[in-house]
Amino acid sequence: MSRTNAFRALTLLVVAALSPRAWGQTAAEIVARADDVRNPNAAFRFLSTLTEYVSGKPQAQNVLAIFSKKDPRTGQFRNLVRYVEPPRDAGKAVLLDGRAFWFYDPASKASVRISPQQRLIGQAAVGDILTVTMSIDYTATLLSTESVQDANKKPRTSWHLDLKAANELSSYARIEYWVEQGSFQPVKAKFYSDSGRLLKILFYRSFETWLGGLRPTETVILDAVDSSRVTTVKASEHRLQEIPEAWFQREYLPRLEAQ
Amino acid sequence: MSLQRIWAAVPIALAALAEPAHAQGEGDDELSRIPSEAPPAPPAAPSGRSRLGKTVYVESATEAELLRSSFDVPPPSPTPTTIEQRLFVDAVLHWIPIRDLTFHLSARAGLRAGEDIAFPTHENIRVDFRELYASWKVFEGAYLDAGRINLKSGVAIGFNPTDFFKTRAVVEPLSVDPSVLREDRLGTLMLRGQFVWKHGSVSAAFAPRVASPPPLYTSAALPALDPMFGRTNAHHRFLLKANVDLIEDFSPEALFYQEDGAVRLGFNIAQSLGKKVVAYAEWAGGSQSGLSQEALAFGTLTKSFSTAVADNLATSSATHFQQDASVGLSYANESKMTFWLEYHLHQAGFSRGDWRFWFDQGTGPSGELLSPLLWFERGYAQEQQAPMSKHSLFLRADWADAFIFNLELTAFANVDLYDGSTLAQVTASYAVTNLWTVALLSAANVGSRRSEFGSLPGAFSALFTIRYYF
Repeated sequence: MSRTNAFRALTLLVVAALSPRAWGQTAAEIVARADDVRNPNAAFRFLSTLTEYVSGKPQAQNVLAIFSKKDPRTGQFRNLVRYVEPPRDAGKAVLLDGRAFWFYDPASKASVRISPQQRLIGQAAVGDILTVTMSIDYTATLLSTESVQDANKKPRTSWHLDLKAANELSSYARIEYWVEQGSFQPVKAKFYSDSGRLLKILFYRSFETWLGGLRPTETVILDAVDSSRVTTVKASEHRLQEIPEAWFQREYLPRLEAQ
Repeated sequence: MSLQRIWAAVPIALAALAEPAHAQGEGDDELSRIPSEAPPAPPAAPSGRSRLGKTVYVESATEAELLRSSFDVPPPSPTPTTIEQRLFVDAVLHWIPIRDLTFHLSARAGLRAGEDIAFPTHENIRVDFRELYASWKVFEGAYLDAGRINLKSGVAIGFNPTDFFKTRAVVEPLSVDPSVLREDRLGTLMLRGQFVWKHGSVSAAFAPRVASPPPLYTSAALPALDPMFGRTNAHHRFLLKANVDLIEDFSPEALFYQEDGAVRLGFNIAQSLGKKVVAYAEWAGGSQSGLSQEALAFGTLTKSFSTAVADNLATSSATHFQQDASVGLSYANESKMTFWLEYHLHQAGFSRGDWRFWFDQGTGPSGELLSPLLWFERGYAQEQQAPMSKHSLFLRADWADAFIFNLELTAFANVDLYDGSTLAQVTASYAVTNLWTVALLSAANVGSRRSEFGSLPGAFSALFTIRYYF
């Protein structure tokens, strides 16, 4: 073991010895602080541009308008998603509210209820991924402290957390989560299915100040099932917005505008 | 710090030391997949008071159909065309000239040519004004809509008993897929008020009678520019529907519908069962006569045939309480596949005895005389957008990103539970780019000559479409 590694081991030994209250934080507190970094507490609206890459080449682009508001009962974000681009999807809308998921297609004028699994099929699932309040939907355990490379290949000393679904509403059975020490910025996450299959790997990058905090504006989603596929999600046009409770009724979906 | 805690921390620290070596390889692989360039900025969202939203595409559709050569009950002429070419522009526009006021337009216009369509005639031109209405937000949650509106109700996929405005509204569908039928339908002239609040919504719609009901349309006899209000506004109709969150995540919808004094009631509900299953049920009931009697009454009303001719088939014209229901499950898996299984009840539809009567009459000594009436009943049922038989089964499967990115496979089957005959259809749709989509569809009516689908003129059909969005 080299001198550098020995020093590193000693440092990590001390840090890990403080677990589960690493740096005076419990695992749950770390995840909650990272939640606060990822999203503001107030209701807000933003545009999300999804670029899908296949074998490294951009194949498709979707633009979604996402309206997010916390449910005062659960603390979890509810999302309304309206497709803006491409033209073939424009006007489609999705309601993601706790366990109630509805998909509206303007071509057929029909609202169809979709299952939690089904909502993960479409691009609207990104709304859930971006705004999921992990501290509520998951029970966290601190695994270790380690240096992990972020999306820009920069090493970040991070807490490595293991998140298990805390309730039936959780989209994923398990998440591995890396949160940078000190800044509480999310660095990376791995999402697993009920069967233990690794589905997605997320990297958070392009931290900028919006709606009162330094937050990620871009998320890179690596498809773990099909390794040729990658999706980047660029968030923009954030603004605080009053979102009436009535908007979370399925009958409102046809009237949802992107603005 | 206790010795025990330090000891417990050792494996974590060692693991952290070991981790970089392991994570490095795995991490490098992950990091190498990350695109280096940021995606281009999204298009600037429309801003200002006046906004125009549009979805416009042009589509070419080429359809070929293989007809049966022999029948127990021959269909009357003209038989469906075997090759047809359509080229049309489809536009959906939303214009918000001032705050809280929106105008909606949905229309399709195009050209068509086929073996049994004379050229050049007005039959080569088709324009359908599906929707044209104004929407005013009176205050937050309260809306008034006036004009031609496509009002859809129901939660089922294959048959919607509570979708009361579906009857006769479908025009020249490219496919018999229920989801496509909902796209190719005309709206109804109506005045609608809606209030949506935190715990539910309530809507009331009144559609006046503005035209007499026209006879059944055939593909070769469609008006070119007629808005066809006779299809959608041949009766005074009123609908009141409401859904309320009774408890968390339980929000059934109840409906009251009146058409020229006849009342139908309905309800529908859809619930998640765990992560992968959605269960749903839809029901409607009211006083009406059987399908055959309704069709014959409609035929005499529209002077499609005389009462004397209709009397050859007429049985009881008495009305009684008849129910429609659609009960189903959907299941989605992790491979982006979704399956639906739905049972349909249409109590006014044909029983096993009705089918036997239908074939016996068509093949009996008066078969030649009665054949047009018998097929009129089939055409009438098709325009009603309801199953022909009392009991049927609907199965559907969707697979997104099947085999390759942006390829969607869809298959469905409609099964008559009396005779097992089936309408089956498979569609492959591929989004070549964000603007281009191509699709190949094939459908087959499978069954014996004396079965619902086996007796239809068309045995097999194929459709190829190319669509370009502007």
